[in-house]
Amino acid sequence: MSASVTLTDVAQAFPGRERARLALDGITLTIEAGQFVCVVGPSGCGKSTLLDLVAGHTRPARGSVAVADAAVKGPGLDRVMVFQDHALFPWMSVADNVGFGLKNAGISAAEREATVATWLAKVGLTDAGALHPHQLSGGMRQRAALARAFAMRPQVLLMDEPFSALDAPSRDRLHVELQELWADTETTIIFVTHNVREAVALGDRVIVLSSGPGRIIGDVPVSLARPRVVESERVVTLAHKVRGLLDEADQLGITTPREGGDSYVAI
Amino acid sequence: MSRSDTLTTEQRVQVGSRAPWWKASAPILITGAVLLLVWAGVSVFVDTLPGPAATGDELWRMAVDGQLWSIFGRITLFMTVCFAIAAIGGVTLGLLLGSRRWLDRGLSPYLAALQGMPTSMWIPVAAVVLGTSPWSLAAVVSIGAMPAIMLGTRSAVANVPPLLIRAGRTFGAEGGTLLRHVVLPAALPGIMTGLELGWSIAFRCLVAGEIFSGALSGTGIGNVISRSRETGDLTEMMATIMIVLAFTLLVDRLVFAKVQHRLRVSRGLVDSGLPH
Repeated sequence: MSASVTLTDVAQAFPGRERARLALDGITLTIEAGQFVCVVGPSGCGKSTLLDLVAGHTRPARGSVAVADAAVKGPGLDRVMVFQDHALFPWMSVADNVGFGLKNAGISAAEREATVATWLAKVGLTDAGALHPHQLSGGMRQRAALARAFAMRPQVLLMDEPFSALDAPSRDRLHVELQELWADTETTIIFVTHNVREAVALGDRVIVLSSGPGRIIGDVPVSLARPRVVESERVVTLAHKVRGLLDEADQLGITTPREGGDSYVAI
Repeated sequence: MSRSDTLTTEQRVQVGSRAPWWKASAPILITGAVLLLVWAGVSVFVDTLPGPAATGDELWRMAVDGQLWSIFGRITLFMTVCFAIAAIGGVTLGLLLGSRRWLDRGLSPYLAALQGMPTSMWIPVAAVVLGTSPWSLAAVVSIGAMPAIMLGTRSAVANVPPLLIRAGRTFGAEGGTLLRHVVLPAALPGIMTGLELGWSIAFRCLVAGEIFSGALSGTGIGNVISRSRETGDLTEMMATIMIVLAFTLLVDRLVFAKVQHRLRVSRGLVDSGLPH
């Protein structure tokens, strides 16, 4: 179950700041069904805005966004988001969190229970179903968030820096697990990150954005064998090239913050 | 898939007071005994203040002739009904304020003013307009507690993290479903604070009504007040104060404190020494 995503000449301002500087400008991008696409760029380049547009949380100021050739009109259960901060509901047990979307989709209690059990098992949280999110470690919480998203069997999975708040060992393990889950479900994934190595390790394709406003300055296919890990030499080499693209954009006078400058963020 | 972080049984244990009840309530009882001693000490020097012993005798008399249970029961009935109305109305209207911005802008200043003003000032008005029946005081008590509950609910709704709302939307909750399953539970700790405030305001209103005119609420507190005023003997008054104190203590321990604790535990706001 997966769908293609098409963005045509999309421009969008930052939310809440009308007529201010654009977050995205002239984004034209076609993502095939079942593709795992990573989007990298400096912070403030409109990566999250891109996800919001596909999710239907906002509408583009210009251009069009389509999923499976149908224009996006609002949020829908075919597109599910995984957040940087797990965003699990603290008052619900892990199992109820995973079943939350299924319940809203009108799935019967029995079927829901079975689906929740399946996905908890797939992320290794079978024993944690009755626990509340605060009783889990950071890595386990993000696993629960993954289970909640995958349980919906979304056509498109949108991931907004989901692993950036995790410790390195948890992150490495989740990189492998995510690749396995994706291979199982064949869903389309748009994965936003500021970590170039993570993008190269996970994606079939890495889209490089420049900041202020965000434009596509690189589209790098990655054909290395899976599952990949961030330390692998080939990943590091390719990540170096992608870094080069970002640096080059900086030299072209596109306003990414300069090293040592006020808003510089290491990528 | 990796199972290296499976859970130990200790992690599954919910936090709760596992001590026996007499151990858990020992601090409360000891503090109570100390307060009684202080009271006894003060009453030795102040002639007009009845001591704990005299008050205890009076309480015993009231218990034997049924006045104690009658006051206790009528307070419970009156406050339960009034507070239930105030809570349902206040939370509903507060949720409405939290979700309709223009309504919030128009109403909130007035609500804040009403909350700042002593609601008991309405009692003479209500007594004249609605008559001196228990219903007129019930109306003042219910309506008087509402602004605090409404404002508490509204702030709690405004303070719900936007991330949780976005997560709710992403997973198919919209409109009523979003309100019931995401906004309301996320705002519940704040709503509870508003309810506790509303409860104390409601009680103040009740007693103010009793002072204003004898038996407005039908709880009997007003009768006691007027009798003490006539005779100058405070023994019955002190006994009634003890009854009301016991009532509020029970409500706080058995209702508010319990609910607050459960809310905090389920949301991970109690440090239980678990790995984070």
